[in-house]
Amino acid sequence: MSDEPRDATATAAADAEAEVTGGLGDRWASFRDREISTVLLTVVGVAVFPFLFNNFLNGYTQLATLILIYGIFAVGFDILLGYTGLLSFGHAVFFGGAAYAAGIFSASVSSSPLLVLLAGTVFAVLMAWIVGFLSLRRGGIYFAILTLTFGQMSFYLAASPLAFLTNGENGFTSVDIGHLLGVIDIHGGVPFPLSMLVDNMLYVFVAVMTVLSVAMANRILHSPYGTVFRAIRENERRAEFVGLDVWRYKLMAFIISAAFAGIAGSLFTIEGNYVPLQSLYWTESGRIVIMTVLGGVGSLFGPLFGAGLYLYIENIVSGFETLGPFWHLILGIVFVVAVVLFPNGIWGGIDYVRDMVVGGEDE
Amino acid sequence: MTLLADILTILLNGLQQGAIYVLLAVGLSIILGTLKFVNFAHGALYLVGAYLGLFITGSVPLNDGQLVEWGIQSYGIGLGFIAALVIVPIVVFVIGLLMERFLAQAFYDRPDTDQILVTFGLAIIVQELLRAMLGGNSQPFPQPSWASGPIALPVVGNFPRWRLGVIAITAVLVLGVYALVEYTDFGLIVQAGTLDDEMVRLLGIKLSRPYLVVFGIGAALAGVAGVVGGPLANVNPNIGTEQLVPAFLTVVIGGVGKIEGAVVAGLMLGTLQVLLIQTGYAAWSQVGIYALAAIILLVRPQGLLGSEVDVS
Repeated sequence: MSDEPRDATATAAADAEAEVTGGLGDRWASFRDREISTVLLTVVGVAVFPFLFNNFLNGYTQLATLILIYGIFAVGFDILLGYTGLLSFGHAVFFGGAAYAAGIFSASVSSSPLLVLLAGTVFAVLMAWIVGFLSLRRGGIYFAILTLTFGQMSFYLAASPLAFLTNGENGFTSVDIGHLLGVIDIHGGVPFPLSMLVDNMLYVFVAVMTVLSVAMANRILHSPYGTVFRAIRENERRAEFVGLDVWRYKLMAFIISAAFAGIAGSLFTIEGNYVPLQSLYWTESGRIVIMTVLGGVGSLFGPLFGAGLYLYIENIVSGFETLGPFWHLILGIVFVVAVVLFPNGIWGGIDYVRDMVVGGEDE
Repeated sequence: MTLLADILTILLNGLQQGAIYVLLAVGLSIILGTLKFVNFAHGALYLVGAYLGLFITGSVPLNDGQLVEWGIQSYGIGLGFIAALVIVPIVVFVIGLLMERFLAQAFYDRPDTDQILVTFGLAIIVQELLRAMLGGNSQPFPQPSWASGPIALPVVGNFPRWRLGVIAITAVLVLGVYALVEYTDFGLIVQAGTLDDEMVRLLGIKLSRPYLVVFGIGAALAGVAGVVGGPLANVNPNIGTEQLVPAFLTVVIGGVGKIEGAVVAGLMLGTLQVLLIQTGYAAWSQVGIYALAAIILLVRPQGLLGSEVDVS
């Protein structure tokens, strides 16, 4: 890996700095910048999440699973929106497309969860190559509208001309998920020591995928490759002048983020054993935009947090007596307030407060 | 003879189908072209126009939503369609002014993505507020009595009177806006501002008021589109977002800021859709318009009548 030496020196430099100044903020920064600590934090997070969620927040394991799935989707979306500065309104194509591909693959080729996951993800990547290639010719609103166009086109394609494959408006129902590696029942329970935290094998599977996805996103964003994404977000023209092939990097950012959407979409099929047609509609793209922006663009954990918040409100708050009918409205208001006042979302707000307390560190 | 009749029928239906796209797109286009503001809440203004039109014309019994829980059983004041055609644009014009002052203005200097995000959020708020208040059910929007039923046209034969009405109203409104932009001093200032707003300001012309009016006009057109389009289908909280995507396509296909472009593009999309439906390819009608849009944008990213300068 080409970024290894750079990482090492960066960490060493941060360590040295921490020794000299010894500030709490610096020590925190050097801890946070290490890849291993990010991964460990994620592992601890996903391990205790369902326990805390089920016992203190009225949640349930199935919702926790769904939150992680959408979290993966949002982490990938943030690579595009938060780090590269491209707003796609057609990401449902990759989520829903992968969900359909995974479902159809499971029904007609192989029911092995890992292969199903792979099939869905590969499909999303191929789709992204085409859609990205075509949409990225122009920036700004043209990009948003072209992605929206391809998104709607795929929705209407799945709705009727391809209904023989997708089962049209009823959604794809004949999903068939087998045992993991031939032995582990993915919809079954978990053995004793683990079962104190989680009671559900599916959650464990999704949690492992979440950790891998976060680790992957972290690695990409902290590599020189990810630095180029940020350079493009800050000033595309300047990045071009430096000699970077901006178009190629944008296409790669698009494909990478679609791959995450593909993982999430395939997991969605494995989780629910069903693919709704709605998963391709542009409001689904809108949902992921809201989750990511609400949680915090340009941060690693913000989108995960946003996905959790969105689905929590959608599933738990909507059941409350008086607030129930207004939950979507409340979410819309919170979203607009976030865009106007906190462009970096809730996570950005937390970061801001922490920097005030521990002493800021500039990026 | 029958072939000619078929062609004319398809064209007329395409005109009618495209008319709503055109009404929405012209408003969207002048706002985008002049103020450089991407208004994803334009569909919400259409929605407001449709519900407001329903409120003014009809008296709809309610069976769902918060209003019912608060003891309000029906919705509407039954003033008639002409009243709606007059009142709705005025109200939505004012809504447009408020939107420009309190929301859009703060976002002129922020990136496109922020504009899209905030107006998208606003669209959700409007849609969900209406859903919470009036329920998610589809409400029928009756055609005005003086324009219901068929009319006998030469060659084509019987044609629904209301569809002709839609075409006529659209034509009058769009020509009006076109004349305003092309032949008045106000239009001259707006056009100059579109080309180079800094230069116009340096000449000592204040642009904030013309911009405000442009936003209001764009909004009012979306409101009228809601009233005119309402009787063609039922009214429910989703129609705003449903209309937004084709309207945006119409704008970018035609060329941002070009009224003629919006007209040509809207009619193209409408005609293609009707053509596919009436030749037995109804399943492909939606796919068709998006495919056509995608192809045109790939070949001519600036739109059919747009100039190269418009592309960022």
